[in-house]
Amino acid sequence: MSRNVLDQDFGSEEEDDDFNPAPADDSGDEDTKQAARRAPDDEDDDDDEEEVNTGRTGRQRAGSEDNAGRGADDDEEGENDDEEEEGEEEDEDEEEEEEDDDEDANAGRPRKRRRKAGVHSFFEEEAGVDEDEDEAEDDEDELAEFGGEMHPDDMDALPVGAETDDRRHRQLDRQRELAASMDAEKQAQMLKERYGRNRAAATDAVVVPKRLLLPSVDDPSIWGVRCKAGKEREVVFSIQKRIEERPPGSRNPIKIMSAFERGGAMAGYIYVEARRQADVMDALQDMTNVYPRTKMILVPVREMPDLLRVQKSEELMPGGWVRIKRGKYQGDLAQIEEVETNGLAVTVRLIPRLDYGMNEDIGAPIADPKRKRPGMNPAVARPPQRAFSEAEAKKKHAKYLSATSGLGGKSWNYLGETYVDGFLIKDLKVQHLITKNVNPRLEEVTMFARGSEDGTSNLDLASLAETLKNSAAEDSYLPGDPVEVFRGEQQGLIGRTSSTRGDIVTLLVTEGDLAGQTIDAPVKSLRKRFREGDHVKVIGGSRYQDELGMVVQVKDDTVTLLSDMSMQEITVFSKDLRLSAETGVDGKLGMFDVHDLVQLDAATVACIVKVDRESLRVLDQNGSIRTILPTQVANKITPRKDAVATDRNGAEIRHGDTVREVYGEQRNGVILHIHRSFLFLHNKAQAENSGIVVVRTTNVVTVSAKGGRSTGPDLTKMNPALMRNGVPGGMMGPPQKSFGRDRMIGKTVMVRKGPFKGLVGIVKDSTDMQARVELHSKNKLISIPKDILVVKDPVTGQTIDMGRGRGGPRVPHGGSGGPPSAWQGGRTPMGAGDSSRTPAWGGPSSSRTPAWAGIGGSRTPAWKQDGSRTSNPYDGSQTAYGGFGSRTPAWNAGARTPYVGSGNSDFDAFAAGSRTPAWGSSNAGNRTPAWGGATASNGTKDRGYDAPTPGGYSAPTPGAYGSAPTPGVSAPTPGAWADSAPTPGAFNAPTPGDKRAYDAPTPAAFDNAGGSRPYDAPTPALGGSAATPGAGAYGDGDDGGPRSEEGTPSP
Amino acid sequence: MFFLKEEVKVITLHPSYFGPNMREYLINRLNEEEEGRCTGDHFVICVMDMVDIGEGRVLPGSGQAEYTIKYRAIIWKPFRGETVDAIVTSVKPTGIFTLAGPLSVFIARKNIPSDIKWEPNTVPPQYTDHADQVIEKGTSLRLKILGVKPDVAAINAIGTIKEDYLGPL
Repeated sequence: MSRNVLDQDFGSEEEDDDFNPAPADDSGDEDTKQAARRAPDDEDDDDDEEEVNTGRTGRQRAGSEDNAGRGADDDEEGENDDEEEEGEEEDEDEEEEEEDDDEDANAGRPRKRRRKAGVHSFFEEEAGVDEDEDEAEDDEDELAEFGGEMHPDDMDALPVGAETDDRRHRQLDRQRELAASMDAEKQAQMLKERYGRNRAAATDAVVVPKRLLLPSVDDPSIWGVRCKAGKEREVVFSIQKRIEERPPGSRNPIKIMSAFERGGAMAGYIYVEARRQADVMDALQDMTNVYPRTKMILVPVREMPDLLRVQKSEELMPGGWVRIKRGKYQGDLAQIEEVETNGLAVTVRLIPRLDYGMNEDIGAPIADPKRKRPGMNPAVARPPQRAFSEAEAKKKHAKYLSATSGLGGKSWNYLGETYVDGFLIKDLKVQHLITKNVNPRLEEVTMFARGSEDGTSNLDLASLAETLKNSAAEDSYLPGDPVEVFRGEQQGLIGRTSSTRGDIVTLLVTEGDLAGQTIDAPVKSLRKRFREGDHVKVIGGSRYQDELGMVVQVKDDTVTLLSDMSMQEITVFSKDLRLSAETGVDGKLGMFDVHDLVQLDAATVACIVKVDRESLRVLDQNGSIRTILPTQVANKITPRKDAVATDRNGAEIRHGDTVREVYGEQRNGVILHIHRSFLFLHNKAQAENSGIVVVRTTNVVTVSAKGGRSTGPDLTKMNPALMRNGVPGGMMGPPQKSFGRDRMIGKTVMVRKGPFKGLVGIVKDSTDMQARVELHSKNKLISIPKDILVVKDPVTGQTIDMGRGRGGPRVPHGGSGGPPSAWQGGRTPMGAGDSSRTPAWGGPSSSRTPAWAGIGGSRTPAWKQDGSRTSNPYDGSQTAYGGFGSRTPAWNAGARTPYVGSGNSDFDAFAAGSRTPAWGSSNAGNRTPAWGGATASNGTKDRGYDAPTPGGYSAPTPGAYGSAPTPGVSAPTPGAWADSAPTPGAFNAPTPGDKRAYDAPTPAAFDNAGGSRPYDAPTPALGGSAATPGAGAYGDGDDGGPRSEEGTPSP
Repeated sequence: MFFLKEEVKVITLHPSYFGPNMREYLINRLNEEEEGRCTGDHFVICVMDMVDIGEGRVLPGSGQAEYTIKYRAIIWKPFRGETVDAIVTSVKPTGIFTLAGPLSVFIARKNIPSDIKWEPNTVPPQYTDHADQVIEKGTSLRLKILGVKPDVAAINAIGTIKEDYLGPL
C-alpha cells in the first residue's frame, strides 16, 4: 500500500500538517517523501492500535498511548527514511524491503509488547502508578526497534514472523555501514535529532492530565477471582506460565491482558484484566488454588486505579531502625546493617535475648507433643535484652560456641547465630520487619549506641541523619526557624520559615535582594541557620538529644555548641538543633534531672551528674561516681530550700550560698543540696561531674551568702529594735499549766482569811483555783480558794513558801544582782503572810502572770544577753546553735550539765560547811550564796555564759534542796523552759526527771528542816545524794539524766 | 550597654517599723535589694534616686504597709556583640572563665585564637602563644560577647577573643 504512494513524486503537504504536527525533520528533500508516506502509515497505526488492543497483554493504557505510539511510529519512519535515502537509488528490492518494514512495523508491535509481557507484565507484584513508566516502556520499544538488536531470548519468544530475523540482520548491517560512512558530526546531529525528539515526546506525555489516563468503560475490565488465601502469587505465576505456553497468536491464546494480586490487603483474590469474563474463565480453567467458578467480582471502573495504587514501600537504609514482627525478638528494635540489593532481605543488628541455656530444664520431658512447638510463645517469657557475652555462653553451651575472627574484629557463632560486638547479626526478610512507625525509644537506641560509645561518631552521625529522615520532615521546621537554602537554584537565600506543607517549606527571605519575598523550597534543600551565641537545644536522635547549649561555631552544616550543663563542646548537624528559649536544666530521664538529689539506699544519697539515655551517673555522698539505673533509685529527694547547716566556723549556710573547702583542693561552689552533714556543691568552672562536688559541712567556710542575703532588718518582720525593749506578745509563753499532781495536796495549810481564817488543815484535793481542805479542827472537808491558803510545816508550824521554789530560782537566774536580793529580802521574812507572794502562789494564771512578767522581764533580757536563745533569730548569733537539729541537744547538754554541776558545787560548798548554817535558818541567806556559790564554783564567767540557762537552773537547785519548797521548783522549771525553750519536747523529758529528783528530796529536806534543824541529817542527805554523783558528773560532763535519778533514791 | 532605667518596686513594711525612720528603712531596703541584683535580663548597677516613694497602703489582715517605690537605676544589659573587659577567673582545658563585672563570660576553646594554646604544665595553668600573650587566672582580657543566655537570676554569656584587638590587655 505504501508503495503506491511512494511511487508518486509528491504527496500533499496538507496531509503532513494534518497528521504530523510535531516532528520537524531536517532531512532535506526527504521531507516530502516522508510526508507522503505518512498518511498510509497512520492508517497502519490505527490498525495497529486495534490489533494491539486485542492482542497485547501489556498494561492498560489510555490516551497517552496514541501519542507515544505515534511518536514511535514517526521514529520508525525516520529511520526507514534514512534507509531509503540510499536504498532508493540502489535496487528494486529495496522497496520490497520497505514493504517488509512496514509490515514489520505492524507485526513488530505485538512482538515488542510481548517481549515486555513475556516475563514481567503479567505479573505485577507491586504496580507502579506513575505514567512515566509508560513512557519508559515506549522509549524502550523505540530503542529496541532502532537498534534492531533483539535479544536472543526475545527471538525465541517469537512465535510468528521469525523469518524476519534475517531481514533484521541485514538491516543492522546496512545501518552500520551507513554510520561508518557518515561523518561524526552528522551522526551526532542525527542522534540528537532522534533522541532529542524522543525526549520531547516523553515530556509531552507527562503533560497529559492524569485523569485522561484513567481507565474508562472502553478499556478491559478487571475481575476479582477467588483463590486460596496465601496462594495468590502462586496462581499468578501459574497464569504467567500458562500464557507462556499459549501466547497470543498461538492456536489457543490466553486472552487476558494481565493478572495481578494485591497481597496482604486483599488476600484470597487475584485480579485478572480481560475483555470478557469468558476469557478469564478460560485462562483460569483447571488451575489449582483458584476458583473461577465462584462468583467473580467485576471491579468497577472507578475503583480500578485504586487496585493498582501502592504505598511507596519504605526505603530501607543501613543505619535505620526497624522492628521485628515475630519470633523471639518480636517487637524488638533492630538496626539495619545492610540491605540486599534486591531490597527484600536485610541484615539487622539486634540486642540478643539469650539465656545461654541457664533456664534449660535438663530433666524436663522432651516436648509436649500436644503443644505445637515448644516455645511457641516466646515473647511472653523471654530472656531480657542483653549484649552477648561469650563468657556466659561458654559456661553451659561451650559446644555451641565458636569464634570467628573476621576483618572487623571478633565475632562469635553461637547456636547458629552470629554475634558481633555483643550484637546479634541476623538476616531477615523485609516482610518480617516493621519498617513504619518504628519510633525507636531512647533507651532502646542507647543499647545500640553503647557499642559506639568509644568515640566512633561515624555511626552516630549516620544514625542521626537516618533518624531525621524517618522523622516527619516538616516536623523539624517550625515557623520562625531561621533557615538557609544551601542547594538548588536559590542557594544562599536566608530567611525564616513561615509555614511548612509536607516537604515544602515556605520561607520569608530576610536577607539579600529578595528580602521580603516569600518562596517555597523543598525541605531537602534547606538547613537551619544558627549564629554564634544562639542558645539551642539538640533535637533528633543523637546521643546529645535534649542538650542545651550555646553555639560557639558554625561551619557549613555542623554546629559546635557548648553544653550548658557539662561545658563540653558538642558538634552536631544544624538540622538537629532548634533555637531554645528554655533556661531550665537539660537532660532528663523520666523524672530525673541533672543535679537532682536522689536516695540510693537508707544511708546513701547521691546527686545526679549526668543523665544518659537509660542510666544515671551519680555522685554519692562519699564522693564516688556510680552509674545506676533509674530503677535503682529509691526515691528522689525534693530539695529543701530552707535547709540550714553550719559551716566550719559555725556560720549558717543555706541553699544557694557559695562555700569553699578548707582543706584539700579548696574547691568552691554554690550549695545545691544540703543533706545531713553533706553538701553538694555546683561549680560552674568544673567540667567533670557536671561541676558537682560533694563536701562535708565541717570542711567548708562560707564565701558568700546567696545573692548577698540582706543583712539589714527584714522589714516584713517584727522590728528587732522594738523587740529588745520588752516582751513581744508573740514570745509570751502559754499560760502556766500545772503538771501532774498538785503539790499542795497532802500539805498542811492554814487559811489566811475568810470564815475559816486561822484554821489549819490538810489539802485533800485541789483544782486550779480551789483546794479541798480537811480541817484539823472540824472533821470536815471544805473548799477554799487556794490563794488564801498558806502552806505550813505540820511540825513547826512554820510557813513554807511554796512560791519560793518558783520565784527564788528565777531571780538569781535572772543574773542581775539587784532583783534577787530585793525579792528574797522581801519574801523570806514575809513568809506566808506576804501578800505579794501569795498571788504568785495561789492565782496560778492571773496572779502568776504578772509575777511572770516581772520575772520574765528580767529574764528575757538575760536570755538575750547571754546570747544564747532569744537573740538568735535576730542577730545571727544563733550560729552557736548550729541549726535545727543541733539546738536541742545543745540545750539539753548545756542545761543539764552545769545544772547538776552547779548543784554539785553548791553541795560542795555545803560540804565545806561554809553555807551549811545558812541552810536551815534562812532561805534567803541560804539561797543567795547558793547562787553565788554556783556561779563561783562554776568559776569562769564564760561557763555561765555558755550555758546561762543552766545557770538559771542551777540556782533553783539549791533552793529546792535547801528547803521544803523544793516542790515549787519543779513547777517553774517546766514553766521556765516552756516559756523560752523552742523545743519543749526535749524539755519535757528531763523535767519529770528533775521533778522526781526534787520531789524525792523535798520531804527529806522538809523533814529534816522540820526536825529541829539537824544539820548533819539533811546535809548528808542532800550532799550524799546529789553531791556524790555530782562530783563525778562534774568531771565527766553532760549526762544529767542519770545523775538526777541517782539522787532520787538516795533520800 | 548601660541604661538609666526607671523601675518600680513594692516593699512591705512591718508595723513595728512605722515611725519617723520609715523612709530611711525603705531606702535602705531598696538599695540593699536592688543594687547588684540580676534580673536575668540585666544587672542593676546602682540605684540613682527615688522618683516617688508613694503612700503606703496597709494591707488588710496583716497590718503591714505596702509601698510602691519608683526609682531610677543604672542598669547594665549585656548584648551580643558587645566588647567588654573582663578578668579571668579560671582557665580550663575547655576554655576560659572570665568575669566582666557581674557577668560571667565563658570563652570556649573554639573561640580562642588557634595560636594561643592550652598549657597545662605551667603553674598556674595558662593559655599562651609562647610570646607575650599569657592568659591565666587574673589576667585582664578584652573580649566580645558572642551570646547571652538569660537565666532566672543570672546571666551567662559566651565570648570570643578570636578577633582583632581582642585578647589579653
